[in-house]
Amino acid sequence: MRPGTLILRAVLILAGLVVVIPLLWTLLNAFKTNADLLVGTPKLFFTPVWDNMDYVLSRRSVARALQNSLIICSSAVVIGAVLGVPAAYVIARIKNRATREAQFFALSLRFMPPVAVAIPMMVIWISLGMYDSRIALIVTYLTITISITIWLSVPAFERVPIAVEEAARVDRLGPYATFFRVALPIARMQVLSAIAFSFILVWNEFLLALMLTTSKAKTLPIVASEMSQLGMNVPWGILNAAVVLLSLPPLILLALVGRGMNTAFSKKSPQD
Amino acid sequence: MSMVPSRNWTNSQDRCDLKGSRRDRGETPLAPVISYLNLGQNVMNRGRSLPVVFLGPALVVLIVLALIPTIYAINISLQNRTLSAPDSDYVWFANYIALFSDARFLNALWVSLKWEVISVSLTMITGIGLGIAMFEAASPRWRNILCFLFIIPVLLPRVCAAFVWKFAVHPLYGSVTWPVRALTGQTPDVLASPNSALFTVAFVDVWQWGLFFAVIVLKLLESLPPQPIEAARIDRIKGWRVHRYITLPMLKLPLISLTLVKAIESLRSFDLVYVMTRGGPGISTETLDMYAYSQGFIEAGRISYASSMAVIMLVISILMFSTIWKRIGT
Repeated sequence: MRPGTLILRAVLILAGLVVVIPLLWTLLNAFKTNADLLVGTPKLFFTPVWDNMDYVLSRRSVARALQNSLIICSSAVVIGAVLGVPAAYVIARIKNRATREAQFFALSLRFMPPVAVAIPMMVIWISLGMYDSRIALIVTYLTITISITIWLSVPAFERVPIAVEEAARVDRLGPYATFFRVALPIARMQVLSAIAFSFILVWNEFLLALMLTTSKAKTLPIVASEMSQLGMNVPWGILNAAVVLLSLPPLILLALVGRGMNTAFSKKSPQD
Repeated sequence: MSMVPSRNWTNSQDRCDLKGSRRDRGETPLAPVISYLNLGQNVMNRGRSLPVVFLGPALVVLIVLALIPTIYAINISLQNRTLSAPDSDYVWFANYIALFSDARFLNALWVSLKWEVISVSLTMITGIGLGIAMFEAASPRWRNILCFLFIIPVLLPRVCAAFVWKFAVHPLYGSVTWPVRALTGQTPDVLASPNSALFTVAFVDVWQWGLFFAVIVLKLLESLPPQPIEAARIDRIKGWRVHRYITLPMLKLPLISLTLVKAIESLRSFDLVYVMTRGGPGISTETLDMYAYSQGFIEAGRISYASSMAVIMLVISILMFSTIWKRIGT
């Protein structure tokens, strides 16, 4: 083996470790007492305790934030998918000026700085008397979910061979039936990963939630970030536990649709 | 697909089903819209409603959700509204004029620019470097494992990524700073000095995005035709030169769009900065969104002032990204 290859492999292994070790370390820290955690020399061996997790899980603010996050994210994602996936199909199948502009418009929403959305949205929701409500956040998140679903589903539908759809037409399927019974099933894995990705984006979303909620509709990331402000001493054990809990849904989704997501980001199409 | 002459349509039911009837087209109230948009020409000669039914609602919602806040932001930015007082007057461009004599705003502009350049360039270097490394040195099995690992950080909530590393570099208890403590007895606080604070936050950003981009770069390299690379190898061109002169130039366009995607995503690093430094020490890591947030919320509740900043950000980023993106697309 050439020395160059060895060096590259070492670099790759190092990069892999830079991903794995901090995550495992955080997981370990979530089960340490403060006495084990706040020491000059990091401890690898300790008696694990469930206290931090217990503290996080038993807090009413966390329970409510979890509920808020689940309701807000899943509603925004479901509405985003219902509106976005069919739109992506049209953009993928009909190529003309109008659909190109539509695709670019969906993409360009991502160019908007979140602050530029958050400040006017806050004023709007305050004047409508809906500030700090779940509905306000769901509606605001629709920009994210619809545009990302469109953006990532268009390539999925472009990969559905046109011949299959033409065969369906010969079999006298209407255009709607062609979509629901042919194109959608063929593209489903990639469409699902697009939807999963939009869920992850809104689950992780921070700035809009921070500015559009104060108490009732607070989502999990906000509550987690507030835990660092409990007095002068940052409760690192509790914080680590919160980080672990908050990171679980995206990781579970990755495990579920990992394969689809992997192909969604490669530009290769089956015709190549 | 060519249009079928109209007299066939009404005769046969089959034709009706297959190609769409003029009656349908004539009666639907959306017909002018459809013909204006020129939709439904290529594939769907029949079922003309589908493009509008499928694309219409999404577009309407997106346009409403994009336009209303934008108009509102501009409107508020021309007033002197605060969170505490309900009344407000139009002050027209006073906020904008005030911004450009506000040292903190100019500092935020500068920090944002630094942040964009540092985070985008480090992400691209990491992504391309690791992507090529995987392409050159990893077996398919290892590529899969590494790709899976490299996707994880970008999917984590940025709040989590920020906390993970904030504790790792904690001067007293952090695991990254531990070797320095053990060897020198000092307690280095990288988040407390202006320069290292920005780079530490940028490191976390690269940890999330650079590794993810490595996966994309690998997929791009895998999608290239193998012949030019093989030809170069036969000519005994050394490893890195193959990429320097052959593969990377072939991937120029996708790499430019990746850079643009990262530049857009770098605008969304509020959570990282908020958790790790709160704009500190001092105002050395205070980006535009951080400053707009603290003006609009924490310190003064000067909603209009913050809004004028938001409008400036909006104009700059939409102008910049739209022109670049359209140029790449054509």
